[in-house]
Parts: sequence; structure tokens; C-alpha cells
Amino acid sequence: MRVALFLTCVNDTLYPDTGRAVVSLLTRLGVEVDFPMAQTCCGQAHYNTGYRHEAEPLARHFSDVFGGYEAIVTPSGSCGAMVRELYPRMGERARAEGRGDTLAATLAPVVPKTYELTEFLVDVLGVTDVGAYYPRTVTYHPTCHGLRGLGLGERPRRLLRAVRGLELVELPGADECCGFGGTFAVKNADVSAAMGADKVRNAESTGADVLCAADNSCLMHIGGTMTRLRSGLRPVHIAEILASTEEEPAV
Amino acid sequence: MATQEIGLNEALEAEGIRAYETDLAELIVQLGKDRPSHILVPAIHRNRGEIRDIFAREMGEWGRPAPEGLTDTPAELADAARLHLREKFLRAKVGISGANFMVAETGTLVVVESEGNGRMCLTLPETLISVVGIEKIVPTWRDLEVFLQTLPRSSTAERMNPYTSTWTGTTDGDGPSAFHLVLLDNGRTDTLADEVGRQALRCIRCSACLNVCPVYERAGGHAYGSVYPGPIGAILSPQLRGTQSEIDASLPYASSLCGACYEVCPVAIDIPEVLVHLRERVVQGGPVTREGNKVVLKPAKGHAAERAAMRAARWAFSHPGACAPAAARVPHPPAASALPAGPRQGVERLTRPPGRAGGALPRLVAAHTRRKGRCQVSSRERILGRVRRALADVPGDEPSYEEAVGRDYLREHGDRSVEETVDLLAENLADYRAIVHRCTADDLAATLAGMLAARGARTVLVPPGLDPGWLATTDAERVADTAGSTPYELDRVDSVVTACAVAVAETGTIVLDCSPDQGRRRITLVPDHHICVVRVPDQVVSSVPQVMERLDPARPLTWISGPSATSDIELDRVEGVHGPRTLEVILVG
Ligand code: SF4
Repeated sequence: MRVALFLTCVNDTLYPDTGRAVVSLLTRLGVEVDFPMAQTCCGQAHYNTGYRHEAEPLARHFSDVFGGYEAIVTPSGSCGAMVRELYPRMGERARAEGRGDTLAATLAPVVPKTYELTEFLVDVLGVTDVGAYYPRTVTYHPTCHGLRGLGLGERPRRLLRAVRGLELVELPGADECCGFGGTFAVKNADVSAAMGADKVRNAESTGADVLCAADNSCLMHIGGTMTRLRSGLRPVHIAEILASTEEEPAV
Repeated sequence: MATQEIGLNEALEAEGIRAYETDLAELIVQLGKDRPSHILVPAIHRNRGEIRDIFAREMGEWGRPAPEGLTDTPAELADAARLHLREKFLRAKVGISGANFMVAETGTLVVVESEGNGRMCLTLPETLISVVGIEKIVPTWRDLEVFLQTLPRSSTAERMNPYTSTWTGTTDGDGPSAFHLVLLDNGRTDTLADEVGRQALRCIRCSACLNVCPVYERAGGHAYGSVYPGPIGAILSPQLRGTQSEIDASLPYASSLCGACYEVCPVAIDIPEVLVHLRERVVQGGPVTREGNKVVLKPAKGHAAERAAMRAARWAFSHPGACAPAAARVPHPPAASALPAGPRQGVERLTRPPGRAGGALPRLVAAHTRRKGRCQVSSRERILGRVRRALADVPGDEPSYEEAVGRDYLREHGDRSVEETVDLLAENLADYRAIVHRCTADDLAATLAGMLAARGARTVLVPPGLDPGWLATTDAERVADTAGSTPYELDRVDSVVTACAVAVAETGTIVLDCSPDQGRRRITLVPDHHICVVRVPDQVVSSVPQVMERLDPARPLTWISGPSATSDIELDRVEGVHGPRTLEVILVG
């Protein structure tokens, strides 16, 4: 199977360790991972801020770069949801604007082949025990686009429960947004910060060492809030936990 | 809400007419010279102490003062509102209402409520004026079987709300003798013309999206600057009013796009989708409809720097070789927070597109015209024309409405024998705090006499067609209801006894259709004690879909599920606001 890693622009720039973790995890599971160097950004920030037309060239570029692969794996729930939910919608809107089917046809091939990492592990590879070791108490925050957009459901928790040494504790108010929301955090900073603080307090109440999520954008916001609140918790992407082994522990 | 949307109270005030709000929460808002902050519980921002102070200070200004020594217990506060408003209900000449639904095929209006203030306004004044947004129209009577179940479940998590009233025009001898229906557009046809935004018109104002919204929870309802707060307000206000003002241009951004609203919305409005669509309208402009005319909005000016940044990021990301690695490593476009607020938009006129026919609104108007023989709706042609043009992109009525609508939902929930259905009715009635009695037909008169004696009722109101045998043995004085009986006379009787048309087991609802053994709508509203006799099993059905089939839309209907109730004070449930505080049901069979 020719699998491509779509790292996302945020991870490429700020969280390269997450990318390395995905590659080592998938390689360990026998998957050959390709990293197309031409990849950039899915266009989510543009689209969600109201710049749909500016997002279109990025979506076409995504399709050019990834169209030839059998599967595209991304360690981001929101970028995965962008491709799967919103690329078809961009095609529809272009059609409604009288621009024909070209955009829809260009984007159609990548839509069903794009998987968020935990989906790819559980649904495509059919594994829940990935042979990981991570001796920490962890609480899991299901990010909004993973939870309600992609419907990841129990997949991340099943993967975490199979990790040796890891104690998974339930996060109160888990379903509630952390307050990031892309440019929302800038345009409505007070409300965003209040939501982040509630998320961190809920996480602290679990007694966990680590708050884990499948999206670094949310973890960036939550992590920033933790620093501001001088919390002892650490934000960690689920890929880094699943990549960690007894031989090469990530802790 | 529709009257608040158009500022009706203020306009009436300017004409020297005082309008009294009758919903408890809206009364609190009006007396407190305040603004509503929630769709369902407009005074949710006030605590009981503040409400007590507002009542003690302001009620005397508006009419009957609050009782001496009023405390802040919700029951006492609700009682003070009951006394204060009753004086107004009994003498008001004109009532103004909204409606939750209007049925095109029958010309029926529907009000869904808890307190009984709606019933008071619909039945006591001589003149009723209903101001209703045109999006409240459903095509068929049968559609109500869905919405009457959906609305209470999504709004207050009840199986059924205490009172639902339906009426079709006026009824001789019962209720207002004059009825005016004002169909409100106020931006709705413009919203309808927008392919993405029009889904907001499906809203049934259940408020579920407010209750789950993390932004509403922290910012509060007033932050939305409109009578429609929360997620639905964030997509409705900028469509009804346009995105020109600072607040309306900012509302689409009042969300982290977390999607919790879409998940709970019973009519599946994809609020995040519409928010993003409206963001696009703000920053990129584009075609919209305003006052029925197609116009092209220019991009808002305040976003120039953000737009340039987005364009630069787009260029860099779609030409990765051109300036990598630097540009490909820009994680976020510069944000707009430092920019001056208050985008302004330019408007240019385009020509109107050709129209097309169709829709439920013409059918509703036609239904009223048929009943009245003439049409009172001014601006009729203009609004209908706008509806036709707004739906130009929608295929015609093929297949027919009934074929297109899926009716594969459950007609009843679970398999029950006849006895089990009756038991379920008894259980659900009791669950809604009705007092349930069971007896045989032979024992009915004795049972009624005993109940009236236990209540200490000295007078009992009797509808004209009630079986005289039922009250043959009671000691209470029988008072006949006549067309001339004033509301004050009804207010003085201790109890009223009626039959019913049908009862619904699954929701614990009794339905009255004003047959002679049930009498005028007001007689089961004004007295404080209502005894209703249900013949089982013939008058019992399982479910709401089953009851819709048995009811005649032309008759004024009153659905009663327990005594009147309110949760308007700190969400504490208080029973008995404007309707009878005690409901007793006798299952005879
Ligand atoms: S948008 Fe949906 S959830 Fe919100 S009030 Fe309207 S119907 Fe209810």
C-alpha cells in the first residue's frame, strides 16, 4: 500500500516531532510511508475565516500532490475533516456559482482516501494494540472536528487503553471545545481563554500527568493555557504516545 | 419574539398604547427595563433576589402592586405575577400573540407554551392580532405530529409542554370575535434567497443550540445584540438585518466552530456551515438579496490586511517551490485583531431574476382568504413575489410534498395492549402532576361529588352539553357557562368540570375541542381547579401521530399536559401560573 503522510502546515512548522512519531509508528507496523515534499496546507484556516476562494488553489494543490496515493494519513482531526467534509462542499459551491464540475472532480479522488491517524490504525490496519509503552497517567481530549466532524468515537481511547504502562483517566466535560477555533482565539480572545482555562482545570481534576489529543492546534492552545496557569500537566499528541516503546520511550 | 424583533412595544408606546408582556420572563424583562438574554428563558440573567426587587419596585407603576412582604421564593414570585397579570387579562380588549407554527392546508395557527399566558391572550380579548414570521408555515396538518413532539423534547426535555393551542380563524361564541394575522417578512425572503443561509429559517426556536454553546455560556445572551442570541442568533441576525453594522458583521465570528450546536439541532441546521458562509460574505462580499433585490456586496473594508495575508499565504502554499522554506513555514496568517473594527460594505444593484411559483405561504394565505372571503394581508403580492424569486433555484413541487417527505418514523413507541395504554396514560398524567382518579360509569357522579367536596368547592362551572347525571349528587352550586359570562364571573367559580375529546397516553395529554360537553376555551383556563373526565378506553390513543388523525383542525383545540408551569425563575419549576393550578383527571370505564 502506498501511504502518504500529510503532516499539515502547523505540524511541519511547530511540531515536527509529531511527524517523526507518525513515521516511526507506521513503519513499526509495516507500513511504507511516503512524505511528498510538495505538500503544504489543506486550506482550512482560509476556508474557516471566510476565504473560500483563496482556499481553492490550496485544495487543488493538495489533490495534485496526494491524488496518486492509496491512502493519505494525517495526524490532525481538523485537517482530516477539512478534506473529507469541506472539500466536497467547496466543489458544490463552485458548481452553484456556475463554475461547473471541475473543482468537484479535481477534489473527489482524495476525499475518501484521507484518514486521520487513529482512523487509519483502527479501520484500515485493524490494530488497536500498536505495541506502545508509555508509563504515565493520561487523560484524552476529543477535539471538536475529530469528535463531531469525523466521528472518531472510541478509536483514540481504544488505542490508548492498549498502551502498556498507561493509565487512562476520563476527562470531565471532554466533549466541550477547548476554545481554540483558529482565528476565533484571536478575534474573541477573552471567551477563548475562558474556555481554555476550564478545559485545563477539568484536566487537572483528573490527576493526570498528560493531556493527550489527536490535533496539535488544540494542544497548542491548551498547552499555552497550561503554561499561563502554571499547570503541571503536559500536552502530548497521541502519535507520540503510540510511537513510544520500551526500547525507545518518549518519556 | 417576532414582536420584539420589529420593536412593536416601543412603536405602540409612541402611539400612547401600553403593551403588557405576559410571559413571566418577559414580564421580568419589561418591568426591569431590560433586554432578553435567552430564547426560552429571556430573564435567565436575573436571580430571584433581583426579580423580587423588580416586582416590589415596578409592579405598582404598571398595575396591581406586588404583595406586601414579597419574598424571593420562585412560587411566591410566580404567584405575584399571576395576580398582577390576571387583572390585565380579565379586562384587556386586544391580545397580541406570535405562533410556533402555521398550517398552510388548513389555515391553522399553533401556540406551544407552559404558563397559560398564551391561552389567556388567545381566548379572552375581543380582538386577537398574531404577528408571525412567514418561516413558521408548515405545509400540512400532519406535519404537526412531528413538530409537536420535537419542540418540547428539544427545548425543555419534556415529553409534552403543558399547553398547546390551535385555532383556525374565529369561532362563534368562543374567543376573539376579530382575528388579524400579520405575516412578517423583515428579511426572511432575503434569507430564503440564499442557498446556504436559508436553512436558518428552519429554526423552531427550541434553544437547544444556546444551551450547549460554550461561547453563549460565557459571553451571555446580551452580547449577541439581538432578540435572537446564541448560535442561531449568530446566523439569523446578520441575515435578517444584513452584515453592515459592526455587531452584525462580528456575529459570524462569535464561534469556535466546535459544532456542538449542529449536533443538537432537531431540524439539522448546519450552523457552522452558515457561520463560515457569512464570514465569507463579510470578508469577500458577493451576491446577496436585500429587500427583494439582488445586489453584490463589496468586501468589508476593515479586513484588508487579513485579506492580503490570506492571499499571500495562499500563494505561498500553492507554490511550495517558489519561496520555500520560509513561506511554507508560516503557520498562521496574521490575525485581524489589531485591525480597526466596523467593516463597511458597499452595495450595487443588479436586475431581478425571473420568478417562479410555489410554496406553502400562498396556500396559507389562500386558506385564510377562503375562510374570510377576502384577504386582509397587505403587501401580499410583494412578499409572494419575493418568495417565488428566492426559490428560483429550487426544483418545483415534483414529486408532491407528501411523496417527498419521509413518514417512516414510528407511529407509536412500543407495543401495548389497550389496558397498558390506559395505564400509561394514568402514569404520564400523574408524572405531570395531574391528580388521577379511576372509576366506573356508575360511580362517576359520586366520585365527582366527593372530589368537589374534598376541594371545598362551593361553586362548579358547567359547560352546556355536560351530561347532567355527572353532577347530580354534588352539593356544590352549579354555574352554567353562557356566552354572556364575563371573565370576572369565571374567575370567581371554584371549579370546572368538563369532558374531553381524546387523550394521548405517551405524552399524558388531554385534548379539548370545545364540543358542548367541554365548553368554551376560557372555562378551563380561568378557574383555579379543573376536573376532566376521560372515557377509557375509547377516548385514549397511544401517540401524537394517532391523535392528529382524530382531531378536526377547524375546531379550536387545547392540549393540556398537567397544570400550567414555569421555569422562568432560576430554572426552578413552579406549577400553576395562569391556568388552573390543580388539574384532576377521572378515567371512567
Ligand atoms: S437552530 Fe436548531 S437548536 Fe437552535 S433554536 Fe433553532 S431549532 Fe433549536
